[in-house]
Amino acid sequence: MWKSSSPRSKHNSMPGFLGSGSGVPRKGRHHRDPGLWAWIVLSPLILWLLLFVIAPTAMLTLVSFAERDSLGRILWNFSLQNYARAFDWVWLKILLDSLFYAFLTTVICLALGYPAAYFIARAPERWRGILLMLVMVPFWTSFLIRTYAWISILSKEGLLNSLLISAGIFKEPVSLLYSPFAIVLGLVYNFLPFMILPIYTSVEKLDNAMVEAAYDLGAGPLRAFSQVIIPLTRPGIAAGVMLVFVPSIAMFAITTLMGGGTNPTIGEVIFKQFTAGRNQPFGAALGTILLFVFILTFWLARSQRERED
Amino acid sequence: MKKITLLLFTLTALGLVSSASAAATKNLNIYCWSEYIPQPIIDQFAKETGVKVTVENYASNEEMLSKLAAGGGEYDIIQPSEYVIEALVKEKVLHSIDHSKIPNLKNIEPQFLNMPFDPGNKFSVPFMAGTVGIVVNTDLVKDEIKGFSDVFKPANKGKIVVLDDAREIVSWALLSKGINVNQVTEKNLQKIKPLLEQWLPLVKVYDSDSPKTALLNGDVSLGVVWGGEGAILLNKNKKFRWVIPSEGTHLFIDSLAIPKTAKNVDNAEAFINFILRPEISKQISEEFPYLNPNLAARELMTKKQLENPASFPSEEEMKKMQIFKDIGTKGSDVEELITTLKAQ
Repeated sequence: MWKSSSPRSKHNSMPGFLGSGSGVPRKGRHHRDPGLWAWIVLSPLILWLLLFVIAPTAMLTLVSFAERDSLGRILWNFSLQNYARAFDWVWLKILLDSLFYAFLTTVICLALGYPAAYFIARAPERWRGILLMLVMVPFWTSFLIRTYAWISILSKEGLLNSLLISAGIFKEPVSLLYSPFAIVLGLVYNFLPFMILPIYTSVEKLDNAMVEAAYDLGAGPLRAFSQVIIPLTRPGIAAGVMLVFVPSIAMFAITTLMGGGTNPTIGEVIFKQFTAGRNQPFGAALGTILLFVFILTFWLARSQRERED
Repeated sequence: MKKITLLLFTLTALGLVSSASAAATKNLNIYCWSEYIPQPIIDQFAKETGVKVTVENYASNEEMLSKLAAGGGEYDIIQPSEYVIEALVKEKVLHSIDHSKIPNLKNIEPQFLNMPFDPGNKFSVPFMAGTVGIVVNTDLVKDEIKGFSDVFKPANKGKIVVLDDAREIVSWALLSKGINVNQVTEKNLQKIKPLLEQWLPLVKVYDSDSPKTALLNGDVSLGVVWGGEGAILLNKNKKFRWVIPSEGTHLFIDSLAIPKTAKNVDNAEAFINFILRPEISKQISEEFPYLNPNLAARELMTKKQLENPASFPSEEEMKKMQIFKDIGTKGSDVEELITTLKAQ
């Protein structure tokens, strides 16, 4: 994810390895085999990917074609029934709902995160570290604790309601918790730093001369922003969007705790099939479909960027 | 210099060997529910016996089951509920318990022994029992609540918390239709579907872990919750009232058992016997006020504890309760039915 957002030139700096076409070593005078050394340097990363990304994904996919017995143990009979069941409107609707929540979360995070990141990156240097720290500090505690804190703020006899009532804004306590509003609030709160940090990195690298040039050439603030600043910070935006959108699709702890479980999300449904449903193969099939949604999102974002380049 | 290194090396190696040999006899791996066995009790057992106890937790029977079925972890003690014991006994994965090692079994009320899921208690010993009932916040709900049909009324829309447990929810609907909770057939699920279609949109919160939170915070005023949670609410505030549903309800018995793969059977049996000691069992009840099946422990408990109707139902109420049987692969269908209705 991070790799794709970095400038293209970096990709080509390791010829023949990240396979960007132009860098493929040709037989001839300058042929130098980077292979062995590069493999040694990269071997921890490759091992990590194999163990924790490739192997689990392969297992998930395998299990999704299996069956199970009454205790929930996996029976290795090849079957397509899990997928036949997964393409039912119920599960697709839940998936679409989850995508919608994730989309809404991403848009709000972008709207809040971009100005914040821009402000931090443009702040005097001695302030930047402190401001960034302030973004990170809450995330040193477990997100479950922070989610429970929101529960005590939003509940009917909670902080926010008593504040609004004593200020005379509300006459009666309003039900804020256990609603779609609470779900999106919880997601935005938890994922906002993942939007701010990559955008901050992009804005920090932004060459001020470019912005000044835009002004010199007669662009107003709006035009300078939309035609110069935004395109130049696009890698940060793209990374932020991916970092927020993808995990919020499958997040289930926040949606269950703050949403009250009345609007099931795809992450929650998969979790339940693995546990109470005693049906790992079906959960795995839903998980595999979700994985394809992720790949599709990633691919779309990438091809969009390539077209713009 | 080299000699010192060598010496250190040998010492470390010796240390490893000795701790490894001790590990074979002085260990106990417990896999239990989260929030069910208080830590001081585990510590006391470790102190008395010198056994090194490790505890892992799970949040649902099925979580435990899937880990056990996958062969992960070498546990000496597990804590399954009645219907899971039935399945585990059927699949022959439990170690039989030597009753001569558990003299404290005599403390358990006979009513909780020799149950159909484990005749003669060959494989399990009751830990705690409990039920599911209705909690009413009488400050906010003035209507009389007698059973599920009074809870799930359109007037109570958005005021209800229920357990986030598909099997439980389905069992309430089955009880309302006068069907046994274990008759989970395709036909019966279709029969209760219209009822659940009316019920589920009324629910505000689904929570199995801590349904008392939503009731305490005032976000809801009615709840269908575990007896232990209800008992805590009754202790906290007089405005909460406990009702055993007139339609009947579910009695659960959580037990201690030893898997066949256990490495420290002796320690496991010693632990079971320790848990059944009256003063230990009483201590557990103080923290988690479920229905304590230990008669000797009940003698040590206060009148207030014993009179908490959410912990200890009356004999009359006990008669209306049903015990879950294992429904095997039907669990996934039950899950699907509830998810479908929630998503609508």
